[in-house]
Parts: sequence; C-alpha cells; structure tokens
Amino acid sequence: MIETFELTKTFKAEDIETVALRNVSLKVEKGDFIAVMGPSGCGKTTLLNILGMIDNITAGKYLFFGQEVTQLFEKQKTELRKRNIGFVFQNFNLIEELTVYENIELPLLYLGWKRKERKNRVEDVINQMSISHRKNLFPVQLSGGQQQRVAVARAVVANPPLLLADEPTGNLDSMHGEDVMLMLNELNKKGTTIIMVTHSRRDASYSRRVVHLFDGQIINENFNSII
Amino acid sequence: MLGNYFKIGTRVLLRQKSYALLNIIGLAIGIAVFTFIFLYIQSEIRYDRQWSDYKNIYRVTSEYNVDGKIEKIALTPFRLAEDFRKEFPEVVSSTNMFFTDPSDINDISSVTYEGEVFEIPDITLSEQNFFKIFDYPFLEGNPDSMLSEPNTMVISSEISQEIFGDESAIGKKLSTVVREYTVVGVFEKKCWPSHHNFDAIVSESSLDTAGLVRLKKDWYWLICYTYVKLNDTVNIEDFAFKFNGYAEKGRLESSKEDNMEIEGYFINKFEQVSNVHFNTQLQYDSPSNVDVTFLYIFGIIAAFILLTASINYINLATARSLRRAKEIGIRKVIGATKSQLVFQYISESVILTFFSFILAMSVVEFLMPKFNQLVGKELTLVGSIFSGEGIIFGIILFIMIFILALIGGSFPAFVLTSFNPASVIKGNYFISGKFGRQHFSAGLLRRFLVTVQYVVSIGIIISTFIVYAQMDFLKSHDLGFEEENIIVINTPHDTTFKHRISNFLTALGEDNSILEVSSALNVPGYTGGKMLFYVGDTSKQNIQALNYYGVGNNYFELLRAPLLKGRHFTNSPSEDTTRNFIINEAADDFLKLDNAVGTSLNLAYEDNLDRGKIIGVVKNFNFSSLHEDVEPLVFILDSKKARYVLVKFEDGKKDNAISHIRKVWEETNKGSFLHYTLLETKLENLYKGDKKMLSLFIYFSVFVIFISSLGLYGLSSFLIQQRTKEIGIRRILGGSEIQIMIMLAKVYLRVVMIAGLIASVIVYFLMTSWLNTFAYHITINGWYFVAGILITFLIATTTVLIRSFKVVHESPSVSLNYSG
Repeated sequence: MIETFELTKTFKAEDIETVALRNVSLKVEKGDFIAVMGPSGCGKTTLLNILGMIDNITAGKYLFFGQEVTQLFEKQKTELRKRNIGFVFQNFNLIEELTVYENIELPLLYLGWKRKERKNRVEDVINQMSISHRKNLFPVQLSGGQQQRVAVARAVVANPPLLLADEPTGNLDSMHGEDVMLMLNELNKKGTTIIMVTHSRRDASYSRRVVHLFDGQIINENFNSII
Repeated sequence: MLGNYFKIGTRVLLRQKSYALLNIIGLAIGIAVFTFIFLYIQSEIRYDRQWSDYKNIYRVTSEYNVDGKIEKIALTPFRLAEDFRKEFPEVVSSTNMFFTDPSDINDISSVTYEGEVFEIPDITLSEQNFFKIFDYPFLEGNPDSMLSEPNTMVISSEISQEIFGDESAIGKKLSTVVREYTVVGVFEKKCWPSHHNFDAIVSESSLDTAGLVRLKKDWYWLICYTYVKLNDTVNIEDFAFKFNGYAEKGRLESSKEDNMEIEGYFINKFEQVSNVHFNTQLQYDSPSNVDVTFLYIFGIIAAFILLTASINYINLATARSLRRAKEIGIRKVIGATKSQLVFQYISESVILTFFSFILAMSVVEFLMPKFNQLVGKELTLVGSIFSGEGIIFGIILFIMIFILALIGGSFPAFVLTSFNPASVIKGNYFISGKFGRQHFSAGLLRRFLVTVQYVVSIGIIISTFIVYAQMDFLKSHDLGFEEENIIVINTPHDTTFKHRISNFLTALGEDNSILEVSSALNVPGYTGGKMLFYVGDTSKQNIQALNYYGVGNNYFELLRAPLLKGRHFTNSPSEDTTRNFIINEAADDFLKLDNAVGTSLNLAYEDNLDRGKIIGVVKNFNFSSLHEDVEPLVFILDSKKARYVLVKFEDGKKDNAISHIRKVWEETNKGSFLHYTLLETKLENLYKGDKKMLSLFIYFSVFVIFISSLGLYGLSSFLIQQRTKEIGIRRILGGSEIQIMIMLAKVYLRVVMIAGLIASVIVYFLMTSWLNTFAYHITINGWYFVAGILITFLIATTTVLIRSFKVVHESPSVSLNYSG
C-alpha cells in the first residue's frame, strides 16, 4: 500500500539546517496497524505528515498505492488524500464553528457527496460511535474523550483505506484513551490500515508492528511485539 | 456547499462579535459616506439630460476681447434666436430667455390675486419656442401655443399651489402695480434638475414695441440666454463657424451704422446643454453651476473613504488570519481544495459586506435630511438608486460594493490558503514559496495598508485646516469698505416706484437708529453689469467694456469707501447728470489716465450731445467675490433706477432699524413684499460653495479618522494578543508599564510620520492649486502640516494605548499563560 525509499526531510531556518528524517525506508501493507515510537523531536510527526501528503520531502521516493506522490501537484495530492486518508490528531483539531454533525460531514462535503447520501452516512457513523445524542453540540461543549470520538468519526466517515493518527490519546485520561484505542483496533479489524504515532507503550501494544525512530532514522522494527 | 459556506460564515461572525462589529461598522460608515457622495455626484451629472434630444440642444455664449482682456459671458444679444430660425435651415428650433428685464416692467417679484399679495422669487421672459425645446411636464395648459400672446404668464406648480391652491390656474389673472397677466400654463419644476431657475415666465411680447424693435436690431446688448436645437446630422464646429461668419457680418454692418469701431474679436460659442451645469467660467451664468473639479475632489474623497474602510477590512482579516490558520489547516488536511477555501473566505466577506451594506443604507436613509440640508438638495435614497433611471446607478453601486467584498475577502483567503497545513496545525505559520518555506509576513503589507490609510486621514485633516484658514481669512479680509451694519432692501420693481423713491429714502432716514440711506442699482456682492465706454470726446475707437454700477448719491459715504481724487456725486441734478462718472483705482490704471478727474468718458452706444466726464476716483474695494481681483469699475449716478436701497444703521440697533423699515415700507409700498438682507450675509453667500466644501471636509475628516481609528483599534487588538506572551516576559524581566506601552505605540509613530510626509506633499500641491482660485488667499503655513500629523498621531497612539492598557496592567503570569 505504502512504500518509502530513502526519505529525507530537512528544515531550513535562516542558515541553520535541521534534518528531521534521514533515509527512511518503510513498507506498509494493506490492513497493517503500525505504531511509530521514539523520543520527542525524532521525526515521528514529520513522517506521518509526509505519509499523509500534507508535507513535502526533501529527497527520496514515496509510493502510495504504487503511485509516486512526490512529484504530484498540490491539487492531485489533495484529491488522493481526501479519498484515501483519514487523520486523527492529539489535540482533536475539530472546527470550533461547526457542530459535531457538521464536523463529521465536512470530508463528505469536500468529496462532493449529495446531501441525502451525506446524511445517511453521517448518521451511520454517529450511531456507530455512540455520539448521536451530541450531534448538535459544538466542540467546546464536549469533553476531550468525546471530542476525540468525533475526530475519529470524522476521519473514518469517508471510509478511507488509511488512517493516520498522531498521538490520538495524548490529551486524554487513561479511560478515554483506552476507549479511543479500542475504536482504532476495531477499525483495523474491519480492514482499515492504521499508522499511529505514539509515546505510549500501552497504545503501541494495540498495533501489529512498532517502528522506532531516533534522530530521524528508523533504528528498530518489531512485529507483534510485546513492548 | 454554498449554503454551508454562508452558514459557517454567519457563525464565524456571530462567534467573533467584536471583530464583526468593528468590521461592519467601519465598512458601513465607508459605504454610507461613499453612497452620499455617489448620490450627490449622480444628482449633479443628471442636470439637463431630461430634455428630449438633449444632445442636439446647445446654449450659445459670447466671448470677446476688447483691449486685451478676454470676457466670457453666458448671454447673447436678443436677436440670435430669431436669426437662427430665419437664416439657418439646419436649426430645428431656437429660443431665448431673458437674464434681466430690459424695461423693468415685468421685473416683478410680487403679484396680487384677489387682493392678496404673493411672491414669485424668480421670474423671466421668454417666447413660445422655449417649451418646445425644454419639454417640461405640464400640469395645465398646452405648451405648444403658450407664451405667444402678450401679457401671458406660465407658472410653476409650487407657485400655482401657493396662489390658487387646488383650483385650476388657467385663465386666472395675476396683477402687478402696472398690468395684469393671464396664467396660460402650469409646469412641473422639480421633475429633473436644470440650470434654469425660474418660477414663472412672462411672454416676451409683453415688452413694449419700441423696446422690442431696438432689441431685434442690436448686436451688442448681451441680455438673453439663447438656446438652439440642431438637426442630428449637424457638425457643431462647422455650424459654429458658419454662424460666426454670419454674426461677424451683422456686427460690422451695425458698427458702421452707429459709427463705432470696435477692436478685438467677438465670437459666439456653442455648448451642449448638459454641460452648462459644469461651466463656471462664464459671467452671468446660473448660480447653481458647479465647478467640475469640485466633483472630482468629491469623487476622489469618496474613493479614499471607501479605500480606508476596505483597508480596515483587509487588515483585520489578515491579522485575524493567524487565528483562523489552524482551521484552514484542518480543512486542507480533510480534503478542501484551495479554491474551496478561497470561496469560503469570500463568502464570509460577502456576508459581512452585505450586513455593512444594509447598515449603511439605513444610516443613509436616516441622515438624508441632514445631508440634503448640507448640500442644498432634495435627494432620496429610493428615488435616486432604487427606482426609475436611478436603478442603473443602484446597480453600479451594488456591483462596486460586491467587488469590494471580493477584494476584501480575496486577500486574506489567498494568504491563508498558502499556509503549509502541517505547520499551522502545529502552530507555525509558513507559506510554501518559491524559495522553500517562508515565515508569514503579512505584517509588512499591513503596515503598508495602514500607511495608506493614514495618508488619507492626515491629508484630509491638513486640507481641512487650510480650507478653514482660508475661509477665516476671507471673513477678516479688509474689503475696502465697511460691510457691517448695512441692510440691503430690494425695491419694488414697478414703474411707479421711481416717483416714490425720494420720499421713501427721506422717510427711512427719519429714525435715529439709521445713520445713512442711499439707493443703488448695484451693490457689492450682487450682480453687476458691463457697458462699453470710450475715453475722449469724439472718437469711438478704443472702446472698452467696463463694469458699471448705478448708484445714488451718498453711496460712497454710506459704504465708507474713501475717495482718492475729485469729488462725490452731489444732490443737485444740475451738477451731476448721468453723464458724470466716478471710477475706481483699477479703472484709472486700466484706462492709463494721466489725470483722471476731468477726463472725458462716454458710453459707446449713446450719441448724446452731453459729453460725459470723470469727476472722481475712489479707492479700490472688492465689489465681487475674493476669488477675483478688483476689476475696473465705473459708477454712474442713477438715483431713479434703484433696485436696492442701502440702510446703514447704528451699531446694536438692528432691530430698531428693521422695525422702522417695515413701518415705512407699509406706508409707501403697500401690495409689495419687503425683501431685505444684511450686506454681510449677502457677501458671505459669495463663498457658499467654499463653505459647503469646508463643512464637507470637516465631516469627511471626522469620518475618515473614525474609520481609521476603528481599524487601528481592531488591528492593535490582534497584534497585542499576539504579543501578550512577549509583554509578560518583558514585565518579568523588569520592563515598566510605561516602557512597554511606549514600545507598542512606537510602531505607529513611524507609520504616522511616513504617512504625514507623503500626505503633506500631496496636500501641498492640491491645496496650492485650490488657493490659486482666489485672487486673495493665505500662504500655506508649515504649522497646518505639523498640527495635522500631530493630531493624527495623538489619536492613533491613544487608540493603541487604550487597547494595550489592560494587557500591560495584567499580572505577567496571566500573560504568560495566554495561548494565543
């Protein structure tokens, strides 16, 4: 599904060049659940952003469903992203001006779904996530756990084959964190490929493979490991 | 999707109420002021476009050069209208309208109907073709045949209503002291604006036959406005050339007959009737005419005010964009394309502009009476832009405002959508640029826009100071005579008054509140006239057109106008006939006389054996507006043909004088309206246009400063929010509140200084050219610029300090915890 070859990413600020990723080669198969771990600043989020096509690489190759994406135009990347990738963030990143329902509906709007189709699909997801009684509330009216539920619902509403999660439980207490991880696990079981950045060993235990990053390089990969 | 954009847009505005309010109010004021100016300009350019085929209607004007001085006059000889019809087949129709009544018989201002006296303010004479060219709507009467019969009159609907109420006016008789007129038509005056300003027209055939015969022959007596309607196919330049050839021949023959030789040239010019309103170059023209530069200045100010309001919008939106950036990032990640995001921003802008538009229109409607009072018009919003022909203007206005919304919304939209989504989600603001990632630096653009805003503000403030100073200068300028404590009474213009005038003057002088009285045909500030004169006894060569004033004796003493040489007119008719003249210094210089007193001076068109001579020279005084220099002027003793009576009263006894005047008027002029004005008021009216400009400048300054301050307040709110953490750190490191507030205000000092310099240069050039329209004007003083800049700086600083005060006074711990 995903293949990267020698991915390198550098940031330039004034005269200082910082290397965020160094020759990262990674292969992700359909149905995988990968946890990316490593200390702060090791390049985990940068890798996730590149895989999600919201950031560019400096060198290397990135194949998404066999298609080289580094040379694509922004518009093509947007098209590819909205059809194939869902995002879950540590700080939820819900749009404050939109209700729960509208936040979840947003990806379908951008995909150009018809109103009736959107309604049916959003209602389905809302029911699956057990948030139908809160669908008319605004994000500020929800707890962190509830917000992350909405964020997950929004990420999966368009049935993307790939879900990228950046520390999805980082802002949650353990009970709500586990709740979110169970949801991701369930999605993975139903066939969604998940790549998750996390600091938490416990969260990583839900994945099938753990990739360890250090100073922008993959230093270790464990399959079905017990951390 | 569209519905979604508008839903979100409305919600965003509702959530950020203060931001939305600042923006809507600022923009609404901008749009309201713009609309007012737009309506004003629109009402001006509508002048004389209502007449059928107006593009083929021309007014004929005169231009002549006698002894090196070019005179441009809106009037022509009476005969032209008939000459056009007789001699030029390409003329569809022609007509004329009298400027003044040549015989005074119809120069009426009061008429009597069933024993009651009514006033008709503006009355003129014309003939039956007038309403064929100028197709005024008629409520009563047949416009095709009216004004052909003597002693007939056409009146406006207002006058008809006042005199006859709801009764029909046709066939009713209105009488003056000497004759009776039959009303033959009632026209609608206020249908559309025109340079004509009359309330009634009397038929020219009412003039006495001898007078008409003389007028029909005369080529030099400029007394009528002449209008000609031409065929579609006529080239106006060719026609003017052809006509001037004909007129030249006529004038030559006439000069030979009168044994006159006039050097220089005399031509008639043709101007399209719709351009008349914008011609301020001619003498004896409609007082309602406006200088087109005045409209341009207005237009530019309107554009600037709208620009200032738009800059506010752009500035606030870009400053706020840092707060919206994260949302944009999320939307991009979820799959929004750039165009979708741009469209969303623009739709928010459209909503905001729409609300501003609604508010602006309400403000316009509410303030319309005040505005009408200010500009002296009767505009209505609905009548001007939402109905009839005005709909076009309405559409233009609406499109302009829509474009404004697009521009206002596009800029932040494009900046925001250029953010790198991965970065903004993390709180870093980068734009993906040609050279890799660049930090978002809309600050530079904001500073530029704020500078432009302040160039406009400072420019208008400095201009206001200069206009004010010039107005003050005009007020205090020594006119060369004492205009204080003088009442000017309009005499009743009927033929019998000349027999009563001596008694009237004597009776007026009998009250001890009155110091002097004098009669006059002309008074400073009122219309004068020109006549052709020649120096010497016999030769009619070297004829000069000079201003003349008909005055009664005691005129100069009353005005306290000093005599330099010779003597005043006396009371004795044997000593001072109408052949004796007093001239002013300017005429003395102009005629290059070695010894003026005793020099022979004669009227060119009179072959009288009594030769005239100069008996005195008075010191120059400003008899017209200070826009003009003092021109050569000849005074003729003419006690009988008095249009005015001047009354000088003792200081502080105005009321006594007025009640005495009323009493005397009642006794001697029963059946006529008493019209009087203070000479000071009349002279002040000469600067009505300039004063209007001053009041508008004052209003504009207030608006533009208010809009800029509103924008600055909003902008500084966002900027201070961004710097809250920095303020906290500075406080912890020992920065005092004052130091920090100065630091925040310093940014604007630089902006105001730069804007001040730019504005000063622009204003200097514009105001110098305005001041040059006055023969007497102030010199531009550096203090106006310093004061303008200083005031703006104080307002800007105060605005920023008010906003920063709270944050600076907060405990640093609060500031440091602020997450932006």
